[in-house]
Amino acid sequence: MEKSILRLTLNGRERADAVDGNVLLIDYIREIAGLTGTKMGCDGGECGACTVLVDGEPRLACISLAASAEGHDVETIESLAEGTRLSALQKSFHQKLGSQCGFCTPGMIMASEGLLRKNPDPSVEEIRTGLSGNICRCTGYVKIIESVQDAAERKAEGDAA
Amino acid sequence: MEYMPPFEVLKPSTIDEAVALHGQTPEARFLAGGTDIIPNIRRGIVAPGALIELSGIAEMQEITQTEDGGLNIGAGVTLAQLETDPRIAAAYPAIAKAASEVAANSHRNVGTLGGNLCLDTRCVYYNQSEWWRSSNDYCLKHRGEICHVAPKSKRCFAAFSGDVAPTLMIMDATVDLAGPNGRRTIALPDLYQADGAAHLLIGKDEILTAVTLPPNDGWATGYAKVRVRVSIDFPLAGIAIALKRDGEKLKAIKIAVTGLDSQPITLAGADALANHPFDDALLQSLEGLLPKQIQPMTSTLTPPGYRRRVSGNLIKALAKELFATAG
Amino acid sequence: MSADRPAIARPAGKNALIGERTPLIDGAEKVSGVAKYPADLDATGALVGRIYRSPYGHAEIINLDVEAARKIPGVVAIVTGDDCDVTYGILPVAQNEYPLARGKVRYRGEPVAAVAAIDEATAEAALRAIVMEVNELPIYDRSEDSRAPGAALLHDDKPDNLERSVHTEFGDVATEFANADIVREAVHDCAEVTQMHMDPHAGIAEYDVERHRLLLQSATQVPYYVHLMVAQCMKMDKSSIRVIKPFIGGGFGARTETLNYELVLCLLARAAKGKVRIKLSREETFFTHRGRPRTKINMKIGMKKDGRFTACECTVEQSGGGYGGYGIVTILYAGALLNAIYDIPAVKYDGYRVYTNTPPCGAMRGHGTVDVRHAFETLLDKMAEELGIDALELRRRNFLQTPTTTINGIKVTSYGFPDCIDWAEEASGWKKRHGQLPYGKGLGIACSHYVSGAAKPVHWTGEPHATVNLKLDYDAGVTVLTGAADIGQGSSTILAQVVGEVLGLGLNRITVIANDSRITPKDNGSYSSRVTFMVGNAALEAAQNLQKLLIEAAARKMEAKPEDIECLGEIYRVAAKQGVEMSYEDVVREALVDTGTITVKGNFTVPREYQGGKFHGAAVGPSMAYSYAALAVEVDVDEITGRVNIENIWVAHDCGYALNPLAVEGQIQGAVWMGLGQAVSEENRYFKGLLVGPNVLDYRVPTIKDSPHIEVKIVESNDPNGPFGAKEASEGALAAVLPAVANAVYDAIGIRVDDMPLTPERIVDAMVKHERDTKAQRQAAQ
Ligand SMILES: Cc1cc2nc3c(=O)[nH]c(=O)nc-3n(C[C@H](O)[C@H](O)[C@H](O)COP(=O)(O)OP(=O)(O)OC[C@H]3O[C@@H](n4cnc5c(N)ncnc54)[C@H](O)[C@@H]3O)c2cc1C
Ligand code: SF4
Ligand code: FES
Ligand code: FES
Repeated sequence: MEKSILRLTLNGRERADAVDGNVLLIDYIREIAGLTGTKMGCDGGECGACTVLVDGEPRLACISLAASAEGHDVETIESLAEGTRLSALQKSFHQKLGSQCGFCTPGMIMASEGLLRKNPDPSVEEIRTGLSGNICRCTGYVKIIESVQDAAERKAEGDAA
Repeated sequence: MEYMPPFEVLKPSTIDEAVALHGQTPEARFLAGGTDIIPNIRRGIVAPGALIELSGIAEMQEITQTEDGGLNIGAGVTLAQLETDPRIAAAYPAIAKAASEVAANSHRNVGTLGGNLCLDTRCVYYNQSEWWRSSNDYCLKHRGEICHVAPKSKRCFAAFSGDVAPTLMIMDATVDLAGPNGRRTIALPDLYQADGAAHLLIGKDEILTAVTLPPNDGWATGYAKVRVRVSIDFPLAGIAIALKRDGEKLKAIKIAVTGLDSQPITLAGADALANHPFDDALLQSLEGLLPKQIQPMTSTLTPPGYRRRVSGNLIKALAKELFATAG
Repeated sequence: MSADRPAIARPAGKNALIGERTPLIDGAEKVSGVAKYPADLDATGALVGRIYRSPYGHAEIINLDVEAARKIPGVVAIVTGDDCDVTYGILPVAQNEYPLARGKVRYRGEPVAAVAAIDEATAEAALRAIVMEVNELPIYDRSEDSRAPGAALLHDDKPDNLERSVHTEFGDVATEFANADIVREAVHDCAEVTQMHMDPHAGIAEYDVERHRLLLQSATQVPYYVHLMVAQCMKMDKSSIRVIKPFIGGGFGARTETLNYELVLCLLARAAKGKVRIKLSREETFFTHRGRPRTKINMKIGMKKDGRFTACECTVEQSGGGYGGYGIVTILYAGALLNAIYDIPAVKYDGYRVYTNTPPCGAMRGHGTVDVRHAFETLLDKMAEELGIDALELRRRNFLQTPTTTINGIKVTSYGFPDCIDWAEEASGWKKRHGQLPYGKGLGIACSHYVSGAAKPVHWTGEPHATVNLKLDYDAGVTVLTGAADIGQGSSTILAQVVGEVLGLGLNRITVIANDSRITPKDNGSYSSRVTFMVGNAALEAAQNLQKLLIEAAARKMEAKPEDIECLGEIYRVAAKQGVEMSYEDVVREALVDTGTITVKGNFTVPREYQGGKFHGAAVGPSMAYSYAALAVEVDVDEITGRVNIENIWVAHDCGYALNPLAVEGQIQGAVWMGLGQAVSEENRYFKGLLVGPNVLDYRVPTIKDSPHIEVKIVESNDPNGPFGAKEASEGALAAVLPAVANAVYDAIGIRVDDMPLTPERIVDAMVKHERDTKAQRQAAQ
């Protein structure tokens, strides 16, 4: 099968790669673009570990095709920090222990990022809905909810620090 | 890289183009949000030669008011849109509710109405990896000889598990189809038949382009879903009810169910209960409609007896709830 | 933190690390996506490894034909059972598993062969070309079937398919039952559950044929065991093997054993003469399993009218899977921890660990104790009601008088249990709300405990139980070297805190290097909640040893006696002389004179008297300290669907002293939540030996929408032997969740459901049966 040229924006940079039609978005991100922050936790669509943003909306990269992202804006966990300066959500997940083993964390943070962009001051129920597709096996979610609330406050104060 | 069978992705921008593309690649399948078909490809259940992506077809992404005051909803409209569209919330709350209970947030952002209606049927012996199914000698629905759920049966009992269909059926929705032989419109129930291995009555080359809803002339509607987890769980059963009230009497009622058979089913016999007093006897009769018309089988890990019993009780509870709120 | 926390002695002005809420020292890597888990490691040039798994549940292998697969272009190596004739396993006495099956397969999904190929598609094609011919044997999913008379044996040397039976009796059980005013019994069937750590198993191995060296990077909780087993199965010198543990997505006990895929990976790398990566699918990770076995329990308790226990008799039968694994330890734990929480004069235990044709079980969080605790605490609740005694009051009447040695030889030195119960009672509003909530809503309480590290290590070598090395160099930074695996629980952070606390240094000066067998000292691993206690104690000793050197250097330079030197961390001063002081960096410079780079070490060994009694099996259960927990759950049971919604959880946990309260809360919440999954929705089910639903949809881990707020109270009983008084801080509360939920469901709907999990269908079945029974009773009465 002919590879075709896939053009998209990944973490703010335009890319063009020769990619087969059957390549999953997660494999494009991890294996072709080499960004391994996005995780694979299940065999397809069941856990949220692979959550990235496509045009600002949370999307499961393991059940999306790279080809479907053609012309779109894809953001992964690596896009959030400025260099090594953590974003508000990343800081909050770190300081409030929203991350234990850290494997669900990139997906959690990207889903939270999608949520906070639309809804900067979410209620606990809204946080639950926003993260309803993301499984965490370590935290029991309590500190994840606290982390998102903390980040919302941080952002409201215009302070990522 | 995950192992994936080879296929290419085709990207039409109009319905006609999509139909034409299918003509050129008959083994192709349509791709909407992909939340059902991609997992199935990954499991080796589907091996399309090509995927025709529908998300670039602008005319399928819209919700428009019809002349008679109903709604025409493009098949490419996402579940998230159904959930939040104010017109739907106002006139068809059951649809919004059903959409909001599908899978999880991130699925609903891309999962579409069309995909939800054309969802493959589900069964524990089917929604498994290639290795798993081959270790179990496959089954009737795909590559195999017998059905593990009903070994003597010639038919597959995999369950239709889309949440939205019954909420459309109680509103007498119709669906618009486009195919090589042109366009047609059918009643939603006519999209389905009672065969888990071939539950859709549209051609593989036909596209479901839109759903049309007549205006809601006073029905109170609701949807109740049975599941173990509050999120990321298909319906073990889903009940949609529309009813009208006339004082202490039930003026009219429509009931449709999902997750209990290979197709979503509008329960027959409900119209005979119109204009009855809304009492316990009536509730019993409503529940009584169920057993003869549905056939839940051991296609889920949760036993069918549970699904049947709980569905009956839910019909009563939901009817009561709607009756109480109905004007 | 409450004002009554046990105080840590520290001079004014010295940096405080212990007891502070400390974010994980490797947290920034995790939240930024930089952290590399096994599947993320550089796989440039690596071949794709895939495993061919048995589709049969129980069969003799007649022929395994891999020749067609071998011929496929791009297939570099294939290994089968012929490539390794050595068994492995966690317990030296029960190693009966080959990395790749030889002669026989015992569960569906068991590895039989493996391929290394240039890409996924080739590997996939190779797997499909492998042909296995077998002679099928009966498949036993359940212990009652495999134990039935005449059943085919899974292992020829194990009659009745019994891996181990355990029979212990402490105290005079017959007499004590006779002394009881009431004796009640209950039968429970708790489903198998699995860890489902979030990262599917993965690893990379690289074999260097020129120098015959092997590098394995794998997600393990115990790199040391993996190292041993790889050497054993590969018949290699241990010194030629290097094992590195990268970041790991949790473990919960699944990764305390060497897993088959790790060995297969190494065999493949050697056969392929290079680098191979294996990434198991989620489904394969389910088959690798090592979770909690399905457990049937018969619990019998005798009580006086005043609620005092007289005796307990318990029979446990576990469907353990196809191989030995941790089985013996699991079945021993199940009995041993009937003790050490309440004062019970006599306890009899009969345990049966049974082979079944299912994936082998292992040491899942709360190892051995969870299901048995469920049985005990629910029966206690029933008996309390029958006697008209408040269930918490009844527990109070049975407290241990500590310090004490239990009837089975366990020493309990610190016991914050009473405080735990008081808090749970208060926080949940127990007195006012239990028995008072409207139909459908209920409140339940239960309690549990756990070890702080097994007092006897699995491998008895005579070495200390834990060793930590510290390196101090010209840069004045302290590097902590440990073999203890941080699996997300934050153990590296604890070690940094302990070392920093002693030396008075900030975390900026401390680096922890963990889990590289070339660099870090051997450690027995992250299991049985041993790390904080044992490795923490070793780190404490190491830091004290280093501080001694620094103080001596400061004394030398300032011409004072070492005992007059006061260390404030960044400043060392002569206590008696105002203004005579040195900076830490100067002290380091002085300390390095003549010696150069300093390395010190700290050890920890559990003293003999804590290692348990002399009877058979006495090695399992003893620990130097036990954690205690009391937990209250509020539920809402849906009358129609039977769904149990968990509304609220309050948990008080005695962890001795919270070295890092932030991490302690996180650990407790995580463990409690995992118990919640087991209580309401998680369950492995088999169809002729085939796991049905090996995925995250059918194995219903609670989502965030199913998960309540969990309020944690840290109780600090200040253990005399723990580092700064600390002990176990996670597994202890898990076991209390199951019975607390069951008790709450009873409070809500007046029905006892003894089996687990309390899925909607189980609840509805129970409601239907209850209705039928009540009707029958009514009719009988008329
Ligand atoms: C973990 C998980 C949980 C889920 N839970 C639920 C749930 O609770 N309830 C539920 O209803 N669904 C659930 N789903 C299924 C799925 O997400 C939704 O049903 C979704 O609406 C499917 O839409 P889609 O656009 O993604 O479909 P796709 O996957 O793109 O398509 C599904 C099928 O429909 C066909 N198709 C799509 N659009 C058209 C069209 N316009 N014309 C003709 N054929 C078409 C495709 O060819 C394919 O065969 C779940 C999925 C996952 C992975
Ligand atoms: S119902 Fe029978 S034929 Fe259909 S998918 Fe299930 S096992 Fe296969
Ligand atoms: S990896 Fe994508 S949902 Fe699990
Ligand atoms: S932090 Fe480990 S899975 Fe969420």
